[in-house]
Amino acid sequence: MVLVNMTSFPIELFRNSFWVRRYFIDVTICVSLLLCQPANLLARQINFDKQIAPIFVSHCLECHSGAEPEGGLSLTDVNIAMNGGDSGKVIVANDAAGSLLWEQVNDDEMPPKHPLSKQEKATLKEWIDQGAKWGKSPLDPFSITTSTRAGRDWWSLKPLQNINPPQVKGSDWGSNQIDAFVLNRLQKNGLQPSPEADPRTLIRRLYFDLLGLPPTPEQVALFVAAPSEEMYQLIVKELLMSKHYGERWGRHWLDVVRFGESDGFERNFPRKNAWHYRDWIIDALNADMPYDDFVRMQLIGDQLTGGIEGAAATGFWVAGVHNTTVGGSERMKQLARQDEIEEVLATLGQTFLGLTINCARCHEHKFDPVTQKEYYQLASSISGLGHGERVEQSPGFQRTLTSIKRRLSQLQSELSVMDANASKEIIEARQAEKIAAPKPPVAMARWEFDSDFNDSIGNLNGKAIGNAKIENGALILDGQSFVETAPVQRDIAEKTFEAWVQLENLEQRGGAAISIGTRNGGVFDAIVFGERTPKHWMPGSNGFVRTDSFNGFAEEAVTKPVHIAIVYKKEGTIIGYRNGIAYGQPIRKSPIFNYKAGETEILFGLRHKPPGGNRFLKAKIHRAAFYDRALSPEEIAASAGESSKYVSEKQIVESLDRKQREQRKVIKSKIASLTVARDEVSEKANLRIYTLTAGKGKKTNVLLRGDPDNVGEVVSPAAFAAIEGLSSDFGLAPDAPEKIRRRKLAEWITHHENPLFARVMVNRIWHYHFGVGIVDTPNDFGFNGTRPSHPELLEYLAWQFRANGYRMKPLHRLIVNSSTYRQAAFGLTKTERQKAESKDASNRLLWRGNVRRLEAEALRDAMLAVTGKLNTEMGGPSFEDVSVILNKGTTYYEPIDVDGPEVWRRTVYRFNPRGGRSALLDTFDCPDSSTTTPRRSVTTTPLQSLSLMNNSFVLRMSDYFAQRVKSKAGKDETAQIIYAWRLAIARQPNEKELELSRQLVSKHGLPALCRGLFNFNEFVMIE
Amino acid sequence: MNHSITPTRRDLFHWGINGLAATAFVSLLNRETAAAPKDAKTLVPKAKRAIHICLVGGMSHVDSFDYKPELKKFHGKSLKTNEEVDLFFGQMGLLRKEDWQFKPRGDSGLMISDMFPHIAEMADDLTILRSMESKSANHTPALFLANSGFEFNGFPSMGSWISYGMGLENESLPAYVVLNDKRGAPNTGESTWSSAFLPSNHQGVVLRSGKQPVRDLFPAVKLNKETDEATRQFIRSINQEHLHRTGADAAIVDRLKSYELAAKMQTSIPEVSSFAEESAATQKMYGIHKKQTADMGRRCLLGRRLLEKGVRFIQLFSGGPVAGNPRASWDAHENVKENHTIEAGRIDKPIAALLQDLKQRGMLEDTLVLFTTEFGRTPFAQSAADKVGPGRDHNRYGFSCWMAGAGMKPGIAFGNTDEIGWKAVERPIPWHDFHATVLHLFGINHERLTFYHNGIQRRLTNVHGDILKEVLA
Repeated sequence: MVLVNMTSFPIELFRNSFWVRRYFIDVTICVSLLLCQPANLLARQINFDKQIAPIFVSHCLECHSGAEPEGGLSLTDVNIAMNGGDSGKVIVANDAAGSLLWEQVNDDEMPPKHPLSKQEKATLKEWIDQGAKWGKSPLDPFSITTSTRAGRDWWSLKPLQNINPPQVKGSDWGSNQIDAFVLNRLQKNGLQPSPEADPRTLIRRLYFDLLGLPPTPEQVALFVAAPSEEMYQLIVKELLMSKHYGERWGRHWLDVVRFGESDGFERNFPRKNAWHYRDWIIDALNADMPYDDFVRMQLIGDQLTGGIEGAAATGFWVAGVHNTTVGGSERMKQLARQDEIEEVLATLGQTFLGLTINCARCHEHKFDPVTQKEYYQLASSISGLGHGERVEQSPGFQRTLTSIKRRLSQLQSELSVMDANASKEIIEARQAEKIAAPKPPVAMARWEFDSDFNDSIGNLNGKAIGNAKIENGALILDGQSFVETAPVQRDIAEKTFEAWVQLENLEQRGGAAISIGTRNGGVFDAIVFGERTPKHWMPGSNGFVRTDSFNGFAEEAVTKPVHIAIVYKKEGTIIGYRNGIAYGQPIRKSPIFNYKAGETEILFGLRHKPPGGNRFLKAKIHRAAFYDRALSPEEIAASAGESSKYVSEKQIVESLDRKQREQRKVIKSKIASLTVARDEVSEKANLRIYTLTAGKGKKTNVLLRGDPDNVGEVVSPAAFAAIEGLSSDFGLAPDAPEKIRRRKLAEWITHHENPLFARVMVNRIWHYHFGVGIVDTPNDFGFNGTRPSHPELLEYLAWQFRANGYRMKPLHRLIVNSSTYRQAAFGLTKTERQKAESKDASNRLLWRGNVRRLEAEALRDAMLAVTGKLNTEMGGPSFEDVSVILNKGTTYYEPIDVDGPEVWRRTVYRFNPRGGRSALLDTFDCPDSSTTTPRRSVTTTPLQSLSLMNNSFVLRMSDYFAQRVKSKAGKDETAQIIYAWRLAIARQPNEKELELSRQLVSKHGLPALCRGLFNFNEFVMIE
Repeated sequence: MNHSITPTRRDLFHWGINGLAATAFVSLLNRETAAAPKDAKTLVPKAKRAIHICLVGGMSHVDSFDYKPELKKFHGKSLKTNEEVDLFFGQMGLLRKEDWQFKPRGDSGLMISDMFPHIAEMADDLTILRSMESKSANHTPALFLANSGFEFNGFPSMGSWISYGMGLENESLPAYVVLNDKRGAPNTGESTWSSAFLPSNHQGVVLRSGKQPVRDLFPAVKLNKETDEATRQFIRSINQEHLHRTGADAAIVDRLKSYELAAKMQTSIPEVSSFAEESAATQKMYGIHKKQTADMGRRCLLGRRLLEKGVRFIQLFSGGPVAGNPRASWDAHENVKENHTIEAGRIDKPIAALLQDLKQRGMLEDTLVLFTTEFGRTPFAQSAADKVGPGRDHNRYGFSCWMAGAGMKPGIAFGNTDEIGWKAVERPIPWHDFHATVLHLFGINHERLTFYHNGIQRRLTNVHGDILKEVLA
């Protein structure tokens, strides 16, 4: 009976609110009185579509529908239903008493968990007795909203409406349209808004809201001195122009898309090049990119602009977890893939549409009108999903790079001509004088492999594992075997590897000639062939941390051995040599690793332990040596037996005349500066970006119960149909190319007629301004989400947002300019406040400003800002305050105590691996980026207080804070105290507070006060 | 249409946080130590606290708690099967008999092997579940599933749910404490004891040895004690002033209280971590004096002390990272005898001591002891198809766990695997059933302990879970 009312729009929106419940009581009673009783008397005709279908839809179809209905009984189709199920006919027209359906319903056997109400039972009985006439068939389970689920008439699926702000009488409160909506609701509840907050509170609120940083004392003073409307507007304008705006709001977005910088799961490898996405988000927000473009770029940026921007933006697809250990069996691989697709669809649906479409993977969505088939249509649309890194070239930098390289190569050839001439003369002179070749250097260990695996100098004797053997004075490695030595009995930092290697073939990739590593293989360095670039030698290392390309040349030799050496210098430089001559360019990446005595061994033929995969080398090793120091180029040349042809630079310079020397010096210095420039530009010109690396679009089937072994019908890439006025059909075949699938999906999501697109985003922005959204479940506008507290306001804002080209900054402006936003948190009299609290304790009606605890990031940033240490450098690789330890195939991230300008950057630039928590951020509810976080929880715990009192970062910041105060406020203690208060919380202490501060400072010093200030309510909570 | 006029629990709870008309309810929720929906706790709790021993890497049930005489008979035979078996490495060798001798133990006569000679002595107090099964034969998802009911990152662990459902018994200690193996944390790291979408006060707190048993318990740099105390006083005074100015705001009151509790923790944690008041005999009973058992012995004794002080849920891991050589977990792919001898040797005596100690103190009455593993190991060897190698692969189809203490029927084995221990055949127990039973013992209805997250009222048991009534006292 209430159904009629339920479908009317505004009431539906208000369904959960208190007075609407009250209203319903009245309506229900009235309707009952007016209709039911007379109806009974008149034996009115039951309307199937209006009265019976809703009962079936909400109470029966969950089990009694589809291909395998419970008890063989389907109630969707008239013919099937009337025929009955496994127990025969269940509905006997005109005879409810003789109908099994009625019998079971009447006995509360069906529906099993939640029996029908008396009223419903009566209606059902009457319907059967009246002849069980059906209306529309088959029943559409999603047609209408019922008490247990949303139908296609669900409020958030309806087209946007253009609603005018209400006319509010009897108050002149309000600055813009928002206030009309808010005041209207307040008045209807007998409440009044709070007065405007004081200027200090207001400017702090604005700064933290828009920038996530506190204002300086000067900025506060300026506004407090002349808190005019113009000044307020000016501040808002300036803040929205600030680059910190993007950092603040970018962090919110990163929460929603659960951006993390490691894979998660067992291995949890770091993603050192994922930051491009973060930077792209920040830049796009600062540029006020329209929201539809913003989303389109994240979905199909590779197709729109391509290049660095496209690759960075589509980092959206790979911001989440990725399982890299999926097990051996095909089923496990398939399950892992399906899990990944579901996880991404969950984020996609909740982020852009506010719907949990992922819930329809194993069955029809239990609460929202999304079918299982539609889920797989969406899965098909993103079936090319793939994680990986792409190298993107920046055209401008590429041009610069080419010209630098050209100039460099000219200079290098000039130099080499000069040097070659000089060398030639020196060698000729040498031969004439018969100077003896220099002696090769003495190694720490040397393996001749003439008859055994023993070390001919020390005791690092080798042991063959597998079929490794000695033949004709060489170690034969068959690609499945290796040699390991006794543990190295001293610490090793600087080192040199040398090996005379004859490769079996040039196609192999990943084997090592010689390697040093911890005994479990967790950390290692090695001479590796072809692993990253085919046919090239490279310095192998765990997780490539000390690996980069020498940019040498492709190996050609297979018929004869080559002498390969790699030198590791203390400061981290790694130099390669081939046949005694430098191989490509030296590299420098992470610092050198210090191997501990007794825990290290040397391997031949295996990159690192455990044995397996592509780690084996197929080659002959004629001889090898290891040095616990970095050899000089001369020594390498001597060892390689090329010293008769080796001329040192010193010898060359000495042989030149003065003019030539000068000339050479100039060339050398030009080469040096150009090399630096080349490296710098090259880094910018070739960016490694962790992003979507799309594979082929896959033909996708419905998987019954989500089980990969239970394959149903093939589906085409498409969306879901429940949004009124928006077709879900992409017009694509099941085998359509990947690009077009994703493009159609992006078009559908960002479509003008998609009301969810605007509603969800407008609500998010509101949520971050007020701490609570108009819909308090920002990721869920479906049945299980909450209903809007101010539905018309949401509608108004969404309409305006779309009409104004989806620009976010004007929306911010509208919100922060409203009187609603500017209300004081504690501005009402005690009586007024008690009254308001008795009606609306949690301020859903917005009768006051909310008090909000700073988020973890804002708290850390505020401390940095107050101490004056904040490094405002934007973008680029993340700073790390965790150690990255690879242990037995798993990456561990342990918080480390680091200090310096690099880590004084804003927290949004913190390297954020999954499980790599920071004690301070963690206790202040910074979420782990495992799932989308539309709303952070706010807890108050003793661990939080402990962190804010004792954490090393906080204590260090207290010291810096004190130093700053001392240097800025002069020697007077009172002046220092006042300055510290103003810096921290933008106000002066009152007399009592000043006295308490004085007592503390005089006995315990300024750092104690500074530590105290960080722990003030007023520092941690913003009114 | 059946639109109930009384708001449903979900509505109340929801509006309790965010909404209207539930004022009293809101502050009640905030004042109470437990935040869970009230009607979740409908039963009289048998258990007030639990200690969970979590074996990382997969313990072989056919060598420990699941005696299979047929396996001896079929040793060296091939397990003929046409199905595609879900293993990790996929190498299916010949059937392998148990490597330890089984004996009937205690009055109950439960069959337990010599792998755990000390635990075996406590047989009459154990309830062995012999028909456990998992959805995954892969470490990470399996460990997640055993802990949180889901195979993925991002779901609250059982300890967090219990903290959420039961609240704090002792405000000056965390409700949920994690004690890691000395050799390292499990691969899943912090995610293993994460509160995920539950408020972060329900997260597992790692307690370690050393000067900072809990992160940031004491100042990171040395501070004068008086300075520290004076600063604390100063903060209290200023924050109290602030409270006076603003009026009784719940969030601000909570903040003040959190500083008091923090100060209490600084005494209570070192106190509970110190063994000074434990007799030499007790320490010896736990095996603290021996290198092999020292790590687990210390953690079991600390576990008992924490239980005494009212910590709700304590999780002890046996095993660190699963991969690597030599193994530092139960992942005996290469050699079960070798690996399990070492691993069982580390924990057998300490766990037996824990049971005995809890019992003699009368604590086993209301304390639940859980002994679980990710999955079992295959009855066939992990080797070439014609060999009986010494290692076993992962077996998700059937394995053993045990429970003891509060509300359990002791001295029984429940459920069964097939004749060779390959698959659970008699009352298979998925993790959801295990979790439902644990919550039940805590007096919690697992279907009602829910938390709204991104569209769904989430539960520890997802949409499943049948209580194992047969094992309840």
